[in-house]
Amino acid sequence: MENVLEVKELKISFQTFFGEVEAVRGISFNVGKKETVAIVGESGCGKSVTANGVMQLLPMPPAFFKGGEIIFNGENLLKKTEKEMQAIRGNKISMVFQDPMTSLNPTMKIGKQIVEGLVKHHKMSGDAARKKAIEMLELVSVPQPEKRVNQYPHEFSGGMRQRVMIALAMVCNPQLLIADEPTTALDVTVQAQILELMKKLQEQLGMSIIIITHDLGIVADVSDRVVVMYAGQIVETGLTSEIFASTKHPYTKKLLASVPRLDMSRDEPLYSIDGTPPDLYIPPKGCSFYDRCSEAMKVCKEHVPELSEHSATHLSRCWMNHPMAKNAYSKDGGGK
Amino acid sequence: MTEPLISARNVKKYFDVGGGKLKAVDGISFDIYPQETFGLVGESGCGKSTAGRTITRLYEPTGGELFFNGKNIYKLSRREMQEVRRNFQIVFQDPYASLNPRMTVEDIVAEPLDIHHAYKNREERSERVIELLRLVGLGEEHILRFPHEFSGGQRQRVGIARALALNPKFIVCDEPISALDVSIQAQVVNLLKNLQDKLGLTYMFIAHDLSMVRYISDRVGVMYLGHMMELAESNELYKNPIHPYTKALLSAIPIPDPEIQKNRKRIILEGDVPSPINPKPGCRFVERCHNAIDKCRKETPVFEEKSPKHFAACHII
Repeated sequence: MENVLEVKELKISFQTFFGEVEAVRGISFNVGKKETVAIVGESGCGKSVTANGVMQLLPMPPAFFKGGEIIFNGENLLKKTEKEMQAIRGNKISMVFQDPMTSLNPTMKIGKQIVEGLVKHHKMSGDAARKKAIEMLELVSVPQPEKRVNQYPHEFSGGMRQRVMIALAMVCNPQLLIADEPTTALDVTVQAQILELMKKLQEQLGMSIIIITHDLGIVADVSDRVVVMYAGQIVETGLTSEIFASTKHPYTKKLLASVPRLDMSRDEPLYSIDGTPPDLYIPPKGCSFYDRCSEAMKVCKEHVPELSEHSATHLSRCWMNHPMAKNAYSKDGGGK
Repeated sequence: MTEPLISARNVKKYFDVGGGKLKAVDGISFDIYPQETFGLVGESGCGKSTAGRTITRLYEPTGGELFFNGKNIYKLSRREMQEVRRNFQIVFQDPYASLNPRMTVEDIVAEPLDIHHAYKNREERSERVIELLRLVGLGEEHILRFPHEFSGGQRQRVGIARALALNPKFIVCDEPISALDVSIQAQVVNLLKNLQDKLGLTYMFIAHDLSMVRYISDRVGVMYLGHMMELAESNELYKNPIHPYTKALLSAIPIPDPEIQKNRKRIILEGDVPSPINPKPGCRFVERCHNAIDKCRKETPVFEEKSPKHFAACHII
């Protein structure tokens, strides 16, 4: 499959008063054409930093790129000037943010906000832009678009505002849409509407989607592939079916076990992961999940696990899955 | 049949707002039995938090009766109320906002003890605080720290310790886990379950995460726009929902399993929750309901027992 986006060994850090925080520590993944990739992880695992890094929306300083490449359509975005980035941002790659309440400009009419990108990127005239705005509102199923186009954000409900955000992101027909927790601020019934809408638009317009979420239900619902992040690293990645059906990394396993499911018995205990993620001021020397892992071994503390390949698409970063692991065990004579 | 610990009868709470009355809770009735967990779910703005606060009389009710151990607490005077209030406590949603950042953990947890003069001397006070902290999985070393030194999950534990200080019988948990990460949520839920077994507590668990509510609750009530729509035992409600709103709500939850998720039929509701200011007569759900008939627009359906222990308010059932 042709890749729209390839992220290679990306490292992003923040310079703070207390020292350097290594928020993203060498991650690689790619997004194919018309594919939906979900990035999951707890807060602070670096998933939003990755997304904002691709868009180069991070405040610099304190943030800086420590290494790696972000290749979009064969070109490295990190080599682009700010001016060149502006031609890409909102045009080829666009983003839907978590909070529809704060990410729209409260002093600007909805219609104007939607076409701002078109007027900027494609020099569209006022009349044509207005028509386009109405068309976009229709596309995202906002009722009475002719009337709504002249209203301000406070006149919209949360779900409607998120639709406007999507319209705004879609208006230049981007190749890649990054949705950062697009439904976290919304109720479940509205969440279902928005997810359906995103799926429908993807089918119609053929874009690729990166969806960032911590809700594994949403992952199962919309994504083709999954990237699981923990403490700034990718611990497991694979097709959605692989991640759910043949989970390889202990963190992913525990994450799946710690959410109650509608079809599970109420007497089953809910699995909880003790402790908290490590502090990224001083990133751990070995596996970042070592402190919370019930299956941790000596090697995990000292050495960062290598990637092991379970299939062409399924990778995990855990010593337990390393092809040498079992041999190493028996050589020690240790076994259990 | 055991006597209910709490029985709410037609509890109402209206707020005066510009342009009318906001009917946040508009006549809900239910019982909560000793040592059970009663879950209350609904979308934002449906009145579930207001219900929690009105039941503990943190908000003065607009109408209705609330019996606690057979006594109507809405009739009590201020002084009597303070005595009764020892028995019910609240754990709040946001562990970042509900702890005073300028107080140490010791003072936060001991505040209810201070108010009720529940100790003889300072030693007894700090002993009790340490005991409470141990109960929630924190330790002696934490008592002199301030809230900002804790993570979200630990802060919520401090909030729970404070709620337990006066040995209450009934605790309202108002979205206690929605501000926490998935892996931490399970820790707090397991803690709440253990405490319930150990101390014989009764919970009212308010949340919008339906799978979590199902997991923790014995019985669940579904609210929509100030009205109770359906109430049943947890397994029964989730297996066999009868109200159209409950059905839609349940079908909207994504299940973390791609196989099941792909083959599910979803009921997608149109539109949003309407405004609770001066609501129209008739069923509150009528505008988003797929099965609405004329009667639904004219008459508010009565909340009644449709099958044993399964209550709902709908004309077409």
